[in-house]
Amino acid sequence: MKRLNRSQWHRKALVLMVLCPLLWVLSAVSACVSLPSPPTDLVSKGREIFFNETFKGNGRTCGTCHRAEANFSINPSFIATLPANDPLFVAEFNPDLKKTFENPKLMRQFGLILENLDGFGDLENKFVMRGVPHVLAQRTSINSNQGPRTGWSGDGAPGDGSLRSFATGAVIQHFTKTLNRVAGVDFRLPTEDELDALEAFQLSLGRQQDLTLPLPLKGIVPKRGQDIFLDNGLGKCNLCHANAGATANFGGGNIGNANFNTGVENLPDQPADLTGERNPPDDGFGRPGDGTFNTPPLVESADTGPFFHNNAIETIEGAVAFYNGDAFNNSPSGQVLAQNDPRKVGIRLDATQVVAVAAFLRVLNALENIRQSLELLESSAKKGFAERAEDLEFLKRAVSETKDSIKVLDGGGLHPEAVAHLQKAKELAEKAHCSFFRRRGLTQQAIDELRNARAQLIEAS
Amino acid sequence: MLNRYLRLAIVVVALGGTLEAFGQQATEMFIPIGQSPGLSGKGSLIGTLESVDPGKRMVTISIPSGAQTVVITDRTMIWLDRSEQKQPNQNGAINDLQKGRKIEIKVRKDEPKAVAEWIKVLVGP
Repeated sequence: MKRLNRSQWHRKALVLMVLCPLLWVLSAVSACVSLPSPPTDLVSKGREIFFNETFKGNGRTCGTCHRAEANFSINPSFIATLPANDPLFVAEFNPDLKKTFENPKLMRQFGLILENLDGFGDLENKFVMRGVPHVLAQRTSINSNQGPRTGWSGDGAPGDGSLRSFATGAVIQHFTKTLNRVAGVDFRLPTEDELDALEAFQLSLGRQQDLTLPLPLKGIVPKRGQDIFLDNGLGKCNLCHANAGATANFGGGNIGNANFNTGVENLPDQPADLTGERNPPDDGFGRPGDGTFNTPPLVESADTGPFFHNNAIETIEGAVAFYNGDAFNNSPSGQVLAQNDPRKVGIRLDATQVVAVAAFLRVLNALENIRQSLELLESSAKKGFAERAEDLEFLKRAVSETKDSIKVLDGGGLHPEAVAHLQKAKELAEKAHCSFFRRRGLTQQAIDELRNARAQLIEAS
Repeated sequence: MLNRYLRLAIVVVALGGTLEAFGQQATEMFIPIGQSPGLSGKGSLIGTLESVDPGKRMVTISIPSGAQTVVITDRTMIWLDRSEQKQPNQNGAINDLQKGRKIEIKVRKDEPKAVAEWIKVLVGP
């Protein structure tokens, strides 16, 4: 064997020193760009379908309106960031859907989507405009003693009326290529397996159980807000939103998710009406409707506005203040509360009390954002090299949740020290997202900052 | 004397909580016979229209286990399934319920008689 001289050794060593890191980087890149293996578990399959499956329709997916980046909902400020060819705007560029499929003006300005809840026989006149509800915490919010309640009026799903069947109705209403809505031509219906997967994915989102109030909150104003919320003689919120969720409990036990006529439709000066665009009244559940609408959970409310089925109110403070007004207190639900009140009052809160209740809801939302961020970062920290794509996704979502928590607290002028910790957590998670060698360490630091933030909001349990 | 909140519960539930009224489910119209999710083959009747009595507003459907008669009310929705012709489904009427046609009926629960919530009728070219 030929022996190498010194210079030849040096050359070989230099080549190895250059080649090895290069090969390593290339393998890392290929791990990122390689196609992920097909999802095996039902939740992952459901996620894939939710965000990517168009059901051979007009290009929309479930994720077109239920955006992961916007808490599985959509709002005007998010809509303003979308490119003109986004499938959300299909009514603006598909000539077959230009009329009576959506109202682009109301969609862009108020986040409203057109629904033909009273049938499709008169598309010009029979429709309602509704906001996009988030699909978080559905495991806690759909079931009732009378069966599942889906959608804003609790009757959104065809077939057996379940969450599982809801996707079929959504495809027909929102994914169609033309207004004919012929199955097999304008779209295809979801298969049984797809419905199973979509249901599993949706049920996996957000909280899996209700809170148990009262929580040991630290902030004086949110704490007072919680007291008012739970006071059945003052705020009365806990009656219909037990534990700030979507179920009702009037003292005789929880009756599950319920519908109520709270008079939202009677609000004067609704934003969509001020445009002069056609906006027929929404009669809620049933055909003809009975005026009732479904109760959504409140834990996730502060960062999923605008509020109510018609996006009539922009802020959480405004949504709480609604219950002081004539529209609510003259409604069937308001009247019932008044009849059962010793002072014959429905709900009457002064401004500071409204703000306190809103502050409580903001803190609840922030705690939930922090919980989700921690869950994502802790999962990310366990991911190995081969799971880098999923790891990056978790970090991205954690950053998004942390941003939400900052916005929610800052928006109410609450807990500035917690906000400072959350800012640091966000920055660390963003750095972790961009880093290769320091990812684990940065992720752990982000986790620590989130825990510090949480400690500002609530006593340790 | 009922506890105040129990009374409240009863009233509120009466106002909006016991709803097993006709749900809107308007999109059901576009689902072909036999493909209603969670319902076809489980909670609906699929078979052939045996007879119609417009005066008594009754329909008899022939299904594998025998014949069943169902009542039609003013709230029963009747839809024409034209999906096999690749045509849009449409609202129908009682005179579209013709003997020999394939139909699917969703029967309302908790009624003493079998009442049709909706009927889909397969119509040919």
